[in-house]
Amino acid sequence: MEEIPGVIRTIPLNYYIFLSTALFVIGIVGVMVRRNALIIFMSIELMLNAVNLLLTAFSSYRSDPAGQVFVFFIMAVAAAEVTVGLAIIVMIYRNTRSVDVGILNRLKW
Amino acid sequence: MQSGELSAFGTILLFIIGGILFFGVAMLTARLLRPHRPNAEKLSSYECGEEVAGSAWGPFNVRYYIVALVFILFDVELAFLFPWAVVFGDHKLDVASGGLWSWYALAEMFIFVAILALGLSYAWVKGHLDWVRPQTRPSDWQSKVPAQLYDRVNEKYKSSR
Amino acid sequence: MFYSVVLLSIFGILNLFLGFLKSRAWLLPVTLLFLATALVVTLTDWNKSLFFWNYMMSTDNVSVAFATIIIVSAMLILPLSRFYFPNAAAPVPEYYAILLFSVVGAILMVTYENIIMLFLGLETLSIAMYILAGSDKRNPRSHEAALKYFLMGAFATGILLFGVAMLYGATGTFNLSGLAQYVRTTLVNGASPMLYLGLTLVLIGILFKLSVAPFHFWTPDVYDGTPTLFTAFMATVVKTAGFAALYKILSVSFTGIYSVWWITLAATSVLTLLIGNITAVYQQSFKRMLAYSSISHAGYLLIAVTAMGQTSQSSILFYSLAYTLATITSFAVLILVNENRAGESFSAFNGLARHNPFLAFALTVAMCSLAGIPLTGGFFGKFYIFINALEKGLLFLLVVAVLMSAVGIYYYFRVVIAMYMRGSDDNAVADRIIVPKSYAAVLAITTFLTILLGVAPDLLVRYF
Repeated sequence: MEEIPGVIRTIPLNYYIFLSTALFVIGIVGVMVRRNALIIFMSIELMLNAVNLLLTAFSSYRSDPAGQVFVFFIMAVAAAEVTVGLAIIVMIYRNTRSVDVGILNRLKW
Repeated sequence: MQSGELSAFGTILLFIIGGILFFGVAMLTARLLRPHRPNAEKLSSYECGEEVAGSAWGPFNVRYYIVALVFILFDVELAFLFPWAVVFGDHKLDVASGGLWSWYALAEMFIFVAILALGLSYAWVKGHLDWVRPQTRPSDWQSKVPAQLYDRVNEKYKSSR
Repeated sequence: MFYSVVLLSIFGILNLFLGFLKSRAWLLPVTLLFLATALVVTLTDWNKSLFFWNYMMSTDNVSVAFATIIIVSAMLILPLSRFYFPNAAAPVPEYYAILLFSVVGAILMVTYENIIMLFLGLETLSIAMYILAGSDKRNPRSHEAALKYFLMGAFATGILLFGVAMLYGATGTFNLSGLAQYVRTTLVNGASPMLYLGLTLVLIGILFKLSVAPFHFWTPDVYDGTPTLFTAFMATVVKTAGFAALYKILSVSFTGIYSVWWITLAATSVLTLLIGNITAVYQQSFKRMLAYSSISHAGYLLIAVTAMGQTSQSSILFYSLAYTLATITSFAVLILVNENRAGESFSAFNGLARHNPFLAFALTVAMCSLAGIPLTGGFFGKFYIFINALEKGLLFLLVVAVLMSAVGIYYYFRVVIAMYMRGSDDNAVADRIIVPKSYAAVLAITTFLTILLGVAPDLLVRYF
């Protein structure tokens, strides 16, 4: 069986960069366009996972484990963020019966 | 080498295309052959033949969320065990440190798990892990019909059973 | 610093379990004791220059000073919680624990030597703040603040991380000195475009969290909706730690390409100053005014980062200390006024000087300090930053900053005028506010330090 970094290296690095940039941009567009708090949140997770993919690819190409270590930390922190974020969204849903960010404009400048 | 890799991915592509085709052709054939006469009974969702009770989008007990959130946290934190497992059994490090490495790594991991366990015990003591059942209180409603009446009715129809 | 991080984490967990005790009476003293212990442990690192955790973090005098500011501001804000939670069921031990964890995050942000640590510190601080922003569970405004802060913060994290990934792709390291080495060699060889893209995205991510102007729009809503006690924490600790982190990454790693990024930072700081100050003028609520004022102060601090001279770091330090002290005073008075007179608008302060001369005096000193009037700490803070800008020849920035401080005087003095010149509207609100001892102590300390910094800035500055 081949080493996993070797398998990752069979695809040119540029492809990884294009793919994760595309995922990242989809995430950004999702955050900007959608009005549902849960879907915005999913878009943010998509952005984070694009970063994970990119870091893993770079890490394999450079034969440097630091990038993959960072991926572990991103995953752990993202889990904490999911927990807090879902708790906030559930709290709002229980009060307003909606997760649309449009109705949340009591605070205005 | 290069062409071999390409053909490996080509197989996957063929597999995907084949999957889509198989599914699409089956659905299309069914669509062409079947009669199309919907009614309310047919369109309702299938619950083992029982009558449909409410929407599938009913509210969940909030407890599900709390248990799920606690689960996510512990599930993902345990991902840290994988890189640890890689270096834990590293023979070179073990030899270089004179056998101390394994003990050191083991102790570190026990500290890590202990901190997680502290968090879990906090959630436990707080009662977030208890599945609070709705308490069924015995009703104090007094029936106007005396109990013997029921007994007599039961007695009467006992023979016909 | 190593021990203070570990200790504060342990103390935070301890605090969670202290909540199971019946008595809440000594929760606050114990938490303060924890922070004081951490402060003492932090100060033992003075005049030592060390790396620890395998070059993950480093200690020097400046980071010790920033950590001290952070811990001290936490110690000043905590006593304000004494009567802040009238509800007996409020999970106060959890709030204290979360505050301790967020202090850990802030300390990581001022001592990091590796971007992994910067990320962890930033997230520890941010996630704690998301929870605290939504801690008022009955109040829809608090919900809204929490959701906005969370979505914006997580979005900013995503951008920051993509930038970090790009930097890693260009340089192959997360270490600040490794990045610096790469930047130095690229000046000869020609840099990868990923380096510039990465730097831009990292800057956007950090500036988002610091609520610098084009990315400030969430700030007023979040500051307004969050319970005031935690807004005070947000406005002081997050800003201080964030600017320390921003300065560190730029000064250690990216001085080699100063010509690339300074113009961006200069433009954002001008924009921040203009938007923050001019919008603050139109606010009717004192709390929202403070939110915009925090945006404008981010603009001043950004000038010091842009100037990036020998003394920039000490001016950022001085400015954040002066800003922190004045902001804590303002929020403390705001909590008292809001609870006793039921209002956060400027008119709630009418006639405060007649009934509570001490509160009015403390708030006046704080406002003078924020506006940069001489004999207060804020004056020297602005003074040092302007000198930095002058030394670097950033005259345009200097002109904008001076003009905007003049605008600042207008809105900061609205509340002073309300307190001293206006009578209360009716007799119902004319009651004297009873100031609890803990509030009085905090206000006395912050006011004294603000004036001390304004009279004798050398006490602090000579160390750096």
